[in-house]
Amino acid sequence: MKAWQIGMVLAALLLLAGVPWYGSDVLVQFGINALLLAVLAQGWNIIGGYTGYASFGNSVFYGLGAYGVAIAMVQWQLPFGVGMVFGVVLAVVFAVLLGIPVLRLKGHYFAIATLALSQVMTAIVSNVGLAGQNIGLVLPPLNNDPLFYELSLGLLTVATLTIWGLTRSRFGFGLIAIRENEEGAAVMGVNTTLYKVLAFALSGVFSALAGGIHAYWITFLDPDSAFDISLNVKMIIMAVFGGPGTVLGPIVGALSLSAISEFLSSEVTSIAGLFFGLVIVAAVVLMPRGLADMIRRLRKTGWRYFSENIRAHRL
Amino acid sequence: MSGPADLIPRTPLLKVANLGAGYGGMPVLHDVSLEVYPAEMVALVGSNGAGKTTLLRALSRMLPCSGSIVLNGHELAGMTPDQAFGLGLVQVPEGRQLFDRMTVQDNLLMGSYRRQDQAAVNRDLDKIYTLFPRLTERRRQLAGSMSGGEQQMCAMARALMAAPVLMMVDEMSLGLAPVVVQQLMEVLAAIQRDGVTVLLVEQDVQLALSGSDRGYVMETGRIVHHGQARDLIDDPAVQQAYLGL
Repeated sequence: MKAWQIGMVLAALLLLAGVPWYGSDVLVQFGINALLLAVLAQGWNIIGGYTGYASFGNSVFYGLGAYGVAIAMVQWQLPFGVGMVFGVVLAVVFAVLLGIPVLRLKGHYFAIATLALSQVMTAIVSNVGLAGQNIGLVLPPLNNDPLFYELSLGLLTVATLTIWGLTRSRFGFGLIAIRENEEGAAVMGVNTTLYKVLAFALSGVFSALAGGIHAYWITFLDPDSAFDISLNVKMIIMAVFGGPGTVLGPIVGALSLSAISEFLSSEVTSIAGLFFGLVIVAAVVLMPRGLADMIRRLRKTGWRYFSENIRAHRL
Repeated sequence: MSGPADLIPRTPLLKVANLGAGYGGMPVLHDVSLEVYPAEMVALVGSNGAGKTTLLRALSRMLPCSGSIVLNGHELAGMTPDQAFGLGLVQVPEGRQLFDRMTVQDNLLMGSYRRQDQAAVNRDLDKIYTLFPRLTERRRQLAGSMSGGEQQMCAMARALMAAPVLMMVDEMSLGLAPVVVQQLMEVLAAIQRDGVTVLLVEQDVQLALSGSDRGYVMETGRIVHHGQARDLIDDPAVQQAYLGL
């Protein structure tokens, strides 16, 4: 990265960090949601964007993180931080135990197998007394939105720095090699099973932390909202909209789509979903490789970029 | 065994003894034994379904096996593919398995993925570009956009970037024009002169034996003939079965 780019990123970070001081309460609440979604999109970026495994199981990590915090705080009266660690441990154990068999599958089969995981988790957690069964858990309220906002921003920063480090590391190159040609990667001495499980677990760590913060912020948790598959779809759309396999793309995707979605639901309320769908369709048709790719290539190819994409996909 | 390899006692670089392997309980290889000596080019030939690729997969530890595989004094049976790779057992896989959407240069750098000595990697990169001038012209091009012959060169160059002790080349000639295959054989000879030991696995018996020092002939999972490559070419049994003479 060049000096001016680092400067831009730092300026954007300062601007975001200052929101609780100059923004309205509504903006701060919107910010917490959008930042946590950005963390989820970044988490998905590790396994989906860099390793090439389109995981539909990341909402399970999110749910485990949320339940980790809720169980620790409500059932065991432990502090929030301990709950976060507990949630992360649950997510990592889950990633390793299920990753080993599930990561043998490729493409659609991997997506379907992980898709089933969140359904299964809803059913399991609904029957666990410690997790409040299907009634859920009510956490002790902490009315401090600026704190949650800064926590979310901090988590997003750590997630993004981790991914930035990944793109410069041997481990990250191994993941990209797996995405580009898994057999080729294995032939070149990449321990593919280990790398995939590590990527899945790392992706799970960030999703779980986001889930933990969200649970404490909302103060209420039930199995349906914790293991919500539409959340997983959202993080994928955001990561892909911004540019999967790029450091900043998923953040840009998450923040811009959150803003568009918020704007639509306040302007056209009941049919917001329809317009949101149109935005997604347009994005997929015009810039299938995401905003990051568009920005990089638009300078060279100009408006032809869009027509080329349409033609390339025979639409 | 016959020939000078017997007369001069040398330690084999690769010694495979009583190797058995298969897929899901179905045995494919039976009691395979072979040796590869340092700086040799050895051909492993046989028709379709003889078990050549299965043997390669067992050697590179992609497939579980029984028996023993000793490379440079290290027992490989029981190792994972990346551990075997770490000892210098590098494959040029069938179908090349390049990173199609990466540039030629990035493909080559992926070959040196496990190496820590950056200076030596840069030196090898220069050396390999000299060996494959065509790749130099195309170093910024995406690997998937090149012709089959160029892709095969890229796969071989990528393997060389891993600084192999033993390079195993699987079905190099597959789908390539004879003139291109001839060029690739010349490159292999240059690689061998450079001190790299090559195990060449081929369906094209004539091609593989004509460029190699020694050869092994496989049939239904067993080694049925072995010896000096030129003796095998002249062997009436081999001629009848594979060379259509």
